[in-house]
Amino acid sequence: MTTTTALTDTTDDIAARIPPKSRQLWRTLVGISALLLFTIATTIPAIGGINIDLASIVHNWHNGYSKMLQMLQPNFDFLPRTWRPMVETLQMALVGAAASAVVSISLTLWAAKPTNPDGLTRSIVRTMINVIRAVPDLVYATVLVAMVGVGALPGVLTLFLFNIGIVVKLVSEAIDSADHSYMEAGRAAGGTQTQINRSTALAQTWPLFANQWLYTLELNVRISAILGIVGAGGIGRLLDERRAFYAYSDVSIIILEILVVVIAIELLSNFIRKRLV
Amino acid sequence: MHTENQSPQTVNVAGSASWQVELDHVSVTYPNGTRALSDVSLRIEPGEMVSIIGLSGSGKSTLIRTINGLVAATQGVVTVGPHQVNALSGRALRDVRGQIGMIFQGFNLAERTDVLHNVLVGRFAHLPLWRTLLDLPTKHDRNIALGALDSVGILETVWTRAGALSGGQKQRVAIARALSQEPSVMLADEPVASLDPPTSHAVMGDLRRINQQYGLTVLINLHLIDLAKQYTTRLIGLRDGRLVYDGPVQNATDKDFEEVYGRPIQARDLLGN
Amino acid sequence: MTSVLSTAERSEQDTAGTQVPKQPSKHWTTAFAFAAGLVILIATGTLQISWSDLPAVPGQVWHYLQLMFASPDWSRLPRALFEMWRSISMAWIGAILCVLVSIPLGMLAALGVGPRWLRIPLRMIFAVIRAFPEVIIAIILLTVTGLTPFTGALALAISGVGQQSKWVYETIESLPKGTTEAVRAAGGNVAEVTRWALWPAAAPSLISFALYRFEINIRTSAVLGLIGAGGVGSMLANYTNYREWPTVGMLLIVVVVVTMLIDAVSGAIRRRIMEGGRARAVATNV
Repeated sequence: MTTTTALTDTTDDIAARIPPKSRQLWRTLVGISALLLFTIATTIPAIGGINIDLASIVHNWHNGYSKMLQMLQPNFDFLPRTWRPMVETLQMALVGAAASAVVSISLTLWAAKPTNPDGLTRSIVRTMINVIRAVPDLVYATVLVAMVGVGALPGVLTLFLFNIGIVVKLVSEAIDSADHSYMEAGRAAGGTQTQINRSTALAQTWPLFANQWLYTLELNVRISAILGIVGAGGIGRLLDERRAFYAYSDVSIIILEILVVVIAIELLSNFIRKRLV
Repeated sequence: MHTENQSPQTVNVAGSASWQVELDHVSVTYPNGTRALSDVSLRIEPGEMVSIIGLSGSGKSTLIRTINGLVAATQGVVTVGPHQVNALSGRALRDVRGQIGMIFQGFNLAERTDVLHNVLVGRFAHLPLWRTLLDLPTKHDRNIALGALDSVGILETVWTRAGALSGGQKQRVAIARALSQEPSVMLADEPVASLDPPTSHAVMGDLRRINQQYGLTVLINLHLIDLAKQYTTRLIGLRDGRLVYDGPVQNATDKDFEEVYGRPIQARDLLGN
Repeated sequence: MTSVLSTAERSEQDTAGTQVPKQPSKHWTTAFAFAAGLVILIATGTLQISWSDLPAVPGQVWHYLQLMFASPDWSRLPRALFEMWRSISMAWIGAILCVLVSIPLGMLAALGVGPRWLRIPLRMIFAVIRAFPEVIIAIILLTVTGLTPFTGALALAISGVGQQSKWVYETIESLPKGTTEAVRAAGGNVAEVTRWALWPAAAPSLISFALYRFEINIRTSAVLGLIGAGGVGSMLANYTNYREWPTVGMLLIVVVVVTMLIDAVSGAIRRRIMEGGRARAVATNV
């Protein structure tokens, strides 16, 4: 180690002593070719892949260009007609978030290990939540509109299901990963699991819940703005209607309004969050 | 294996000669208003082995970083070899940095990258950009990197990920990285603060060997008095950003150290054995 | 709501006149909870829902669930899988394009990499894209480009760029600064710092985020299908309109199973990527 060697004097002597490179090249190759094959398979229309057709975009460009021009001239006269649907959107968001908040508490405590040591009920709740989460929001809305009819009700139900999925999953995972020595004290004092949950776990996890509920409220405003596209009430319905009439200046004023409301709700939510924590 | 009767010409890693370092009334004030260095003047001759001591926050790290321009001097003149560092920027500054090796307390390796590519970082200033970006170093640069690794005795780790090495090995990779720059000055910022005592001695020994063998100017930031005494020849003491001691190591008394530290010497100021 | 209750209990305690130290005032919390409750009540009360019909809803939903899942119609499964693959393809191509754009742009927007005059406008663009709901961006784009799976993929790519780039620059900025300093000290420029200090450290996180984008896109691509971009969403919308419930049930099963499967596989790969480096490092050390 401390033998004196000249730095620049690198002869074959060093080359002979370099250990062989043990990196498994084939592994990298297999990984890359798997990725490539998958990507190629996604571009074969015959099996359902997508047809990468740049020509059609060029072809559509002229058509799209005039629509774009209309969109760049928002029709502010249309604004008064948007107030009511926008209020309905916000109502749906709030009611969906509030309803799911109430239901999420017990479901979450059932889905987390420290608050529910029983493996069977825990995995039932978790599987249910995972299934709920696997269905996209607008798919719920589409099916629910067909079931209970057009209006705010399918919208609220969609947001309710969507929020349950988010809150239960995120909060139960947070509870799982946190330290829970305080629960042991409750157990040592002879409390039942429900007593311990009510008196300690709930107090301890309350900030997590509050945070997620606010987050779902933010998400709901974004989602409820588009639920109307499939008939579930709110501003989205108006957006879809104006789009169907090719009234693109109305469409763009609606989009601008959604943008303003989304940002305003996010600012409000951040403000409340700071107060809470 | 190489033997001790190597001719001195091949031993000098620096293609150019070893450089002197000169600070002339240098002050550094950070953007947040902290004054890290106040009016420091010193001159270090080529081939000297200097330790800079002081408490944390005394300005040691700032001093060593003004030398390669990682921290810009707000006042005064920093001269390294033929270059006035504080007047340079961009490409010219990077070229000078390429001639100044530096090692760090935290090793600062790319942990997920293998040892060879960590050492090749030392060749950046000597390679065109496309070669470093496409990972196509020349045979010559590769050999210099391998030679540097061999000279610190860890050639066998060449394909290991840096993150998998022990602390002592990591610091040796860092030294090899600095050596492969073929530097004219070597800077070390608390090189042993993250290491255990035996490894600390080994790394300090490596630095002393580099100084003696290649005649390289070496500046080391240290907070441990006994290491400074044992391995270096000249002491520079900083306190609150001011130069409070400068002289040969053998003349430094405990009273001098107490002056630098502003308090009596304690056990934690010594590495011990 | 919990806070309302607990505050009420405590005030009762105060009036008991014992020598308990005074509770710190919680008026604001109480007032806030009260206001929030009131707003929710008003919102619920004024929502255009005929509440008298509500008790019938569970029965209705149960009825349709039976129609859908009691005996799903598997005869159209091949077509469903074909359309599902189309949705997956949209999601995948969209994810690749999104990642290819957002990694360089996100890096340029990271502190210490891109110049200031570029960093600020880039971040503003990302923020604007993020502020739009993804489907809205897709609607704007699809209005211009026409509705095809390919334009759907493009819409997915662009609508994801805001969030994806933010993840990139946050990842880059959270890396330890030491390696960067070492490369700079050796004379490296910004490009070399990015290639040899930032990229090796950030790559696992960035690849993991790329897979996560794919998982998100799987859901969004089904939604784009609903508005006409093709894929399983379009098929679902059609059969829902025809009210062919057994087929709708089958489609929902396909969507749920495939989505959960992709989540599981992608999640496992992500965990391996993030842990792989460490595990192998330890193995070679011994």
